[in-house]
Amino acid sequence: MSNNNIDIVKVIQSKLGDKVQIQLGQLGTAAINVSNGLHREVLKAMLEADEKTGLTAISGVDLGTTLGVLYHVHTSNAFVTIRAEVPKDNPKIQTIVDLIPGAAFHEYEVSDLLGVIFVGNELKGHLVLSENWPEGIYPLRKDVKATEVKLSPAPEEEKAPDIGKLVKIIIGPQHPALLEPEKFAVTVDGEIVTKVEPRIGYVHRGIEKASESRTYVQDVYLVERICGICNACHAYGFVAAVEKILKTQVPERAKYLRVVTLELNRLHSHLLTLGHAGLEIGYETLFQYFWRDREPIMDLIELTSGNRVYASLMTIGGVRRDIKDVDVPKIKTTLEDLRKKIPFYRQVYENEPSIKARMRNVGRLSREDAIKLCVVGPVARGSGYDIDVRKDDPYEAYGEIPFNKIVYKEGDTWARMNVRMDEVEESINIIQYALDHMPKGPFRIDVPRNVIAGESISRNEAPRGELFYYVKSNGTANPERVKVRTPTFANIPSFLQTAIGENIADVPPNFVSLDPCFSCTDR
Amino acid sequence: MIDIWLILRILIFPGFAFILLLTLFCDWIERKLEARIQNRVGPLVAGPAGLFQPLADFIKLLTKEDIEPRDAKKTVFKFAPLVAFTIMVFAICFLPIDGASVLSTGGFSGDLIVILTFSTVASFLLFLSGWASANPYGTISSARVLTQFLGYDIPLFLIALTPAFIVGSLSIFNIASGFTLASGQLVPIILLAPWAFVLFIITMQAELEKDPFDVPDAESELVGGVCTEFTGAKLAFLHLTRDVQIVFGSALVVELFLGGPYGPVFFGVPAFWYSLWFVLKLLAVVIITEYITTLFARLRIDQVLTANWKILLPAAILSLMLTVILVHWVYPLV
Amino acid sequence: MAAKKPKKSRISPMFRRTVSHIFTKPATTKYPFAKPTLPDDYRGKPEHTMTTCNMIDLSGTSRVLAFDVQALVNTNCQVCVRDCPANAITIVEVEGKKRPQFDLNKCIFCNQCVESCSRSAIKGSGKYELAAVDKNSLVIRPQPNAKEGTKQ
Repeated sequence: MSNNNIDIVKVIQSKLGDKVQIQLGQLGTAAINVSNGLHREVLKAMLEADEKTGLTAISGVDLGTTLGVLYHVHTSNAFVTIRAEVPKDNPKIQTIVDLIPGAAFHEYEVSDLLGVIFVGNELKGHLVLSENWPEGIYPLRKDVKATEVKLSPAPEEEKAPDIGKLVKIIIGPQHPALLEPEKFAVTVDGEIVTKVEPRIGYVHRGIEKASESRTYVQDVYLVERICGICNACHAYGFVAAVEKILKTQVPERAKYLRVVTLELNRLHSHLLTLGHAGLEIGYETLFQYFWRDREPIMDLIELTSGNRVYASLMTIGGVRRDIKDVDVPKIKTTLEDLRKKIPFYRQVYENEPSIKARMRNVGRLSREDAIKLCVVGPVARGSGYDIDVRKDDPYEAYGEIPFNKIVYKEGDTWARMNVRMDEVEESINIIQYALDHMPKGPFRIDVPRNVIAGESISRNEAPRGELFYYVKSNGTANPERVKVRTPTFANIPSFLQTAIGENIADVPPNFVSLDPCFSCTDR
Repeated sequence: MIDIWLILRILIFPGFAFILLLTLFCDWIERKLEARIQNRVGPLVAGPAGLFQPLADFIKLLTKEDIEPRDAKKTVFKFAPLVAFTIMVFAICFLPIDGASVLSTGGFSGDLIVILTFSTVASFLLFLSGWASANPYGTISSARVLTQFLGYDIPLFLIALTPAFIVGSLSIFNIASGFTLASGQLVPIILLAPWAFVLFIITMQAELEKDPFDVPDAESELVGGVCTEFTGAKLAFLHLTRDVQIVFGSALVVELFLGGPYGPVFFGVPAFWYSLWFVLKLLAVVIITEYITTLFARLRIDQVLTANWKILLPAAILSLMLTVILVHWVYPLV
Repeated sequence: MAAKKPKKSRISPMFRRTVSHIFTKPATTKYPFAKPTLPDDYRGKPEHTMTTCNMIDLSGTSRVLAFDVQALVNTNCQVCVRDCPANAITIVEVEGKKRPQFDLNKCIFCNQCVESCSRSAIKGSGKYELAAVDKNSLVIRPQPNAKEGTKQ
């Protein structure tokens, strides 16, 4: 099923080589510069050649007189960026939602923040900006200063639904089922859901714009605070992209230390989700047990980095501190204790009748839908769509460490939770291997403060899925553009589809199996 | 002439004050047990080992601001919590606690039906309080209260009648005394119909709205359930009604199946020993129900309906039939 | 590929585990009655020790940041000011000398200033119990005429 032998660049070259300009080795496997309209042709060619083609992100860049629209597309063995440009006074470009349905949200975001109009998929209202944002002001354009924008008066309030006929239930923005605020207007017919209308953007802090006015050193800490749970992955994504622009090679020891940090991050995040899922179905005992077992991991993160949550270990050129040899036995014993507890939880998931009643056959997502909607992470791997950036596109020391890719076929909530549970065990294996085979040497090198002009991407596997960074520098101490595409942003459209036809009482467990992190979604 | 003794019995022991203290104590036991099962500490600071925590919560709620939504039905909103609480306490007053009930010494025939009706009215008042608050969460939750209530009420009555069939009387006093064997000895009903005891515990879980039948109070979907719009003193009384309901349900189990307050008397006044046995048996039942609560997740409303109509109701009918057969043909021989 | 399957038993292990937990010691650390043990290099409040030159008066607080004023005056490097992600360090003029002022209200305890300072005048400490009632008491102002060798 995996077409590992297809050279997608050669396919594009053969079909459209005369109309497009191909730059190998740029922005992934290759960057393809197209003129307006030809991006659809390139995508069609790629979709025909490789069925596992999916859209990772759409980056919008302000290039002065034009707006750049970059389509980042991943296939089963390559990563290609299609570069298009539209003039600022007529920023229209053809949509690609008919080819890849999962591109809808990405196009909305570029429309909202940069003002590009995707013909065939126009944005009505706002996606991440608030209702009272003034019309015609696109924050990511260079001529807009965020502090000088005057907000319009607040719109009149939404009418409360009629109590007599309960048709629309509003979940959020403040709701016990959601950890962070987002609004979902769920239309029900009796107890069955017929439609879900999301409204995201409640946690939008404008981090991408803020990163353009800070130096690279400061930005490492800024992007780390996009999300509290997967903070190490955000810091790593930014740092890796900048290192690619600088063309520096970090020392080997730094690569292994980075792997240990990223896997500890994955451990605590998965244990958090597994516990939270228990809380959503009313199983408070399971929630407390999982979080009790998560505490030693937080202590390990504190031991290696100095803080329980924000590890702040990544820096451009390596890591900020080393793991002392005296600490390694303690890390290993804690991980072994956690490993001994996993069979108990597996048995609970297999045999506990109320868990199976609430989680089986809830939120089914078939493999075809998963590929079309471009979902990532455990949501994809629970539906049989086996993508994992650590295996498909190895980074840091992952190419040298043996581990398994966890895939389940059922596609329901229960499968996704099991994927996370098995990944906990795999992470323990990875950390122990990394600690045993850690090379000696320096863990950090010096880098210049002014980064030469260039652009680059980085992808890494955050606990929730593939996290994508695009960084463009212009030779000064501040970056020109930082674009983040977070995994939950790619996964929310799948929820809009899986919730339809199910019970309203199934919405919380279904939703929490996506592992939503709205701070990531909104940035 | 006003009987001072009766007034003291109603107000202090075994009446209102005793029931209130017992409720707060059972709340503490529940929270500590749930915490220990979940490997944490539970209430710790308020009083020795956190004993005063439920009282502190009650007093705190009394000091908070009382907000009434503009669209709520005023009278029902104001009085439903208080009336529900009163009815539950009144229902407990019929049960023999220290050998005699609060109001009368011997009860009357048929008071089992009376107190079961009271508990039905109290559930209905909880439904009304959610319905009267102009809030979609309250409305959905009260609809679920009614749906679940329809499912468990009939099995509840049927199983509660099982001890009545065995003893041959509808008076709680007679049932609590137990069944007289041919040898003249009194045994509690649990030994004669243990299946009814198990079924009654399960049905009681549904009535008290605890896991796995926690649906109307589903925090992750419905914010606060029927209590969403209530604040301050009204919320305090709603919570207290919930807790008193738990005491009432457990007390009913004790009276019907475990032989009520009757037990061995060692020395001194029998009333003291009867109250002690009553409290100990009550705590045992509370511990059992709380343990079942922590063990399971919450079922969906349609799964609850399936459980009620397809499993509980046939089981209740079968249990009644089995009991009738045993009573007529088997037990007189014993 | 799924990991190894658990052994086939029909009863959930929760029944036994919940009962056994009633008799186990709770996993809670009873803070504030019992303090947790922290690693040595916990990233707490950044602290400066005076290396040379003018002292900064302690005035009873142990939370003022002092650093090598001479280096600042000579090189005026201000690297810590530039690198602080939260803009928590500002330069104030005290008695004719430029000194830094640290605002713990804004500090995110990343210890980047500890790394950036070329004179190693700023060190991290493990202090985390920094709650205060007054916002102004969290702004560590340099005091004039401090004694040499005092840590702030």
